[in-house]
Amino acid sequence: MEAPYDDRLLHQRVVGGDESALGEVYDRLSSLIFGLSLRVTRDRVIAEDITQEVFLVFWERPLAYDPDRGTLRAWLATIAHRRAVDHVRAEERRRVSALGPRLFEREPARLEDDVLAADEADRVRQAVTSLPEGLRQAIELAYFGGRTYRQVGEELGVPEGTAKSRIRLALRRLADALAEEEV
Amino acid sequence: MDAVERLYLDAMMEDPAAPGHSLRPQLLAGARARRRPAAATAAWAQPYAARVAAMDALLTSAVDDDWSRVIVEGWTLQELVAHLAAKDGLLAASVGAPVLGPPIKAADSLGRTSEVQAYERARSPEQTRRDWRAQADALCRHLADLPATTPATLDGMEVAVSDHLLARGLETWIHTADAAKTARLRLPDPIAEHIHPTADLCARLLPWTMLLSGLDGAGRTLCLTLTGAGGGEWRIALGVQDAAPGEPDAHITADVVEFCFLLGGRGDPAALPADLAGDLSLARDVLTAAPAFSGP
Repeated sequence: MEAPYDDRLLHQRVVGGDESALGEVYDRLSSLIFGLSLRVTRDRVIAEDITQEVFLVFWERPLAYDPDRGTLRAWLATIAHRRAVDHVRAEERRRVSALGPRLFEREPARLEDDVLAADEADRVRQAVTSLPEGLRQAIELAYFGGRTYRQVGEELGVPEGTAKSRIRLALRRLADALAEEEV
Repeated sequence: MDAVERLYLDAMMEDPAAPGHSLRPQLLAGARARRRPAAATAAWAQPYAARVAAMDALLTSAVDDDWSRVIVEGWTLQELVAHLAAKDGLLAASVGAPVLGPPIKAADSLGRTSEVQAYERARSPEQTRRDWRAQADALCRHLADLPATTPATLDGMEVAVSDHLLARGLETWIHTADAAKTARLRLPDPIAEHIHPTADLCARLLPWTMLLSGLDGAGRTLCLTLTGAGGGEWRIALGVQDAAPGEPDAHITADVVEFCFLLGGRGDPAALPADLAGDLSLARDVLTAAPAFSGP
């Protein structure tokens, strides 16, 4: 999936050292990045640190992002997710080692790692199959079938707006289901 | 990123939340400390200031090996950065801006390049990078209060400082692209507002590249259409003495970035994807002559 025109333009401006473009990227995406970080860490202070760091990485190393390979939103989300997961794991390690011998040790995720390990990806797929029928179909068409909101609506015989709200509802259910499993 | 990962991240972002209000100003202040923004300068100098910032962003990612790798002209990245600093310094000297680095002995770009390279070789790549950036920013600061039409001389050519600076911007852009290619990084184009004046300079140079190549364009007119963001259409009198362009004798249509890079000595004129019309041999002459000013 290639990045939209806006992403490209903001990227060009950030590469050219235009600070106001960084501000625009922040205004557009910070609530998503912060929301994601908060969901994973459940700590506002840590989530703010991660959010700030993610946008700083984009400013400092803008050439690490390649608009041909995806949206800026997905790229920033990937970095935020890694940092958030690293934080949670470090906390786990601290707790475990305080209790006694180290039961397990996981290396912090690196930038080139996949977002999800194989077993985690399986959990996501499993969560999709557990969705109510209408939601599951909408998600499968949109994500695994590469359809637009409009096409999803056409295939399900509902207006585009309904397709969109079904997908968003499904995403929220997925996030809740995955969070429950983690507890 | 595969579909499951995209789905997962989208799900995790389905609950947007507002971070504290202080985070935005904190981020922007932190950003300045991590990477210097493009220097504040006159509007006409901004295309250059942005190319300097882009080169600096590329250099941020350079590791030890990258600095000693030969990029172009037999120069390593460090020597290439020293070369840019050398020419920026000569332009700075010509308009009374501060000149950094060793005192100027050679007043031509090749001689000055050798001086600055010799000086920088004894320093770390990081120092070279800082010296280059400091020179570029000092030039930008000085130009902030200078009229665009101020005459400046570089390598014996006296033209408006704004044209010299557009040429410096193009050279910085091209060498950043050279280095990005070696590092296998994709360098995005400048924004359209910065490409356009650069393309305009390239278009205006065509009578001179013809003259320098010994091709006679006197009395002939070219219609040049450059496509893509920042492009446009130019009608150019191909003789340096011509008073004004007439009816076009030939038409060239090409991509604006490829055309700028051709003037900068990148790409083979014969292989440039271009639509030619009218007097084809004149159009081909224009393209053949186009790189005449390019040098290291």
